[in-house]
Amino acid sequence: MIYKIIAKQAIEDLFKGLQENYDEVAGPRACGPAFVFDKLQHACELRLDYESTILPPTKYFLAPTERLMRFNRVTGESYDSEPVQTSRAIIGMHPCDINAVLLLDEIFLGDFIDPHYAAARKSTFIIGTSCMPTVGHICNAFGTDEIHRGFDLFLTDLDDRYLLSCRSVPALELVDKYLAASDPTAKDIDDFQERTKRFKDAFTFTPNMDQLPLLYGAKYNDEQLWKDVGDDCLCCGACAAVCPVCYCFDVCDKLDASGQTGLRYRSWDSCLKSEFAEVAHNHNFRPTRASRVRYRFYHKFVGNFSRQGKMLCVGCGRCMRACKVNITPARIIGALQQSQIDKEDATGDGIEKADDAE
Amino acid sequence: MSALTAKAYRELGANPYRPWPARITSITELTPKETLFELRLIDKNVRDAFEFTAGQFVELSIFGVGEAPISISSAPSKQGFIELCIRKTGSVTNAIHRMRCGDVVGLRGPFGRGFPFEKMMGHDVVLVAGGLGIAPLKSLINHIHDERHAFGKVTILLGARNPSEILFRQEFDMWRHRQDFDLIMTVDQPDSVWDGEVGLVTRLFTDLEIDPGNTYGAICGPPVMYPFVVEEMRKKDLNVDRIYVSIERRMKCGIGMCGHCAVGHQYTCIEGPVFSYWEALNLEEAL
Repeated sequence: MIYKIIAKQAIEDLFKGLQENYDEVAGPRACGPAFVFDKLQHACELRLDYESTILPPTKYFLAPTERLMRFNRVTGESYDSEPVQTSRAIIGMHPCDINAVLLLDEIFLGDFIDPHYAAARKSTFIIGTSCMPTVGHICNAFGTDEIHRGFDLFLTDLDDRYLLSCRSVPALELVDKYLAASDPTAKDIDDFQERTKRFKDAFTFTPNMDQLPLLYGAKYNDEQLWKDVGDDCLCCGACAAVCPVCYCFDVCDKLDASGQTGLRYRSWDSCLKSEFAEVAHNHNFRPTRASRVRYRFYHKFVGNFSRQGKMLCVGCGRCMRACKVNITPARIIGALQQSQIDKEDATGDGIEKADDAE
Repeated sequence: MSALTAKAYRELGANPYRPWPARITSITELTPKETLFELRLIDKNVRDAFEFTAGQFVELSIFGVGEAPISISSAPSKQGFIELCIRKTGSVTNAIHRMRCGDVVGLRGPFGRGFPFEKMMGHDVVLVAGGLGIAPLKSLINHIHDERHAFGKVTILLGARNPSEILFRQEFDMWRHRQDFDLIMTVDQPDSVWDGEVGLVTRLFTDLEIDPGNTYGAICGPPVMYPFVVEEMRKKDLNVDRIYVSIERRMKCGIGMCGHCAVGHQYTCIEGPVFSYWEALNLEEAL
């Protein structure tokens, strides 16, 4: 990693450099009262002071709908869908969203490689930016408030200037060619450390996460707990749509007008939909709202933790804003821990006992 | 070309969502609802590389309709052809029932983890199938048949609702007279000519002798059947880690990405569909 200092107005030069080197520059811009990641034409549209966006930038790697292949129905031949991949620079990704991409990498670039995801990853230049936690940001609980890889360039806001962290050769070339950058001084480093401390102190939600997977397992069959959440849940799937690490998808075929050829595509899906786990003869493995919401958080806090060693939540707070009935990771964590406290009060037993009882 | 594993896909940079064309070479109606389709992969290289273990499944594509996961019924030792026993239930399975010999479908796979054939070798086996559960178990039965010398006592228990719903009945009728297999069929509702057992498959365990230290069990059928059959096996002192079950889930991708087939913290398409009963007991929602 190479560190540099640039003035705030140098962002315009950086933007110009990105436009000259990439087909598309995407970043956060204002959209009504909210912010969205969108294609940007001018540097003045870029709003690096955004708190959060409606959809996460992971939409650029896993599109809402995506062609998987084209086929000929008669011969059974299939073809890779023609590459429409444009090179893209995304500027302004927060650490939580970059961490989300790293989590998706483990799923889509694992044993099997998803060619569409891989192509998008390869042709994207990522510029991260620092943030300040506000209500609903609980990334500290998941360790996703920090980022050390997964980006090309990272901008840390030091009030009147940016500290640049360059992590790739294209990033260094860009800085050399377009930016008047200087080496960090002792004062810059002090300011950076002071800012980091201010950032860490700004978090208000600091749960103990160590026992969460174990606690979840112990409370998995706590019917009352899940009924309470399930009764509230509308199963609308809004949380999954805005989640940067929700990746489940559905696959459908579409025939062309000729009836001879067609395409197979995938689209975002949500495990909260009633048909998500339905099999032949209308047998549904998760027939109730309680069972679906329980599974959604199970996959996030336990399922992926057991498989990959990481929880599938980056604490970005988008689901909190999208949910109409206040079902959030913080509420689930709180409810699990509260039910444990209630149980300890009632019996004087700890979690080990609860586990033994199973 | 090596076997069609994840590694091979990665090395070839191939698109794992693209199925290989396969031609329907034979169609045998087993019952009004179930049909046995024999398929032949058109590309010779793919055909030669298509290796699988009993219990694995393929994603069957009917182009323009969609995909469905189907267990392979033929034995891995049968070269060049793949048999799928398919029940009409959804859009894909209904669509293939409208097709004829020579028509082209798509296949992806084989996916998942099958029965631990090599671990079972050298031991006695008790195979229990209920209804359509015979579809994946047929592959194991046929494979054991082809390697019969490598196994001890082989017991096959088949259950069905009534005699007309017994799949592969003609074939199994003949097996009843074989010396090297103990095959017992039972139905819930016998007809006037039925000469087999009557009642649930669990009843067949009463007179069964199992050497628990030297036996593996495999069960396939409706999920509701599993606890009862396992209970009977437990009564014979067979440990749950020596009993294997195949489970069914909705699936879209078959390669651990779409999220539909999750069971507990595992994916049916990667770690399953065959789990030891011990594993299944420790997976939330598995049973």
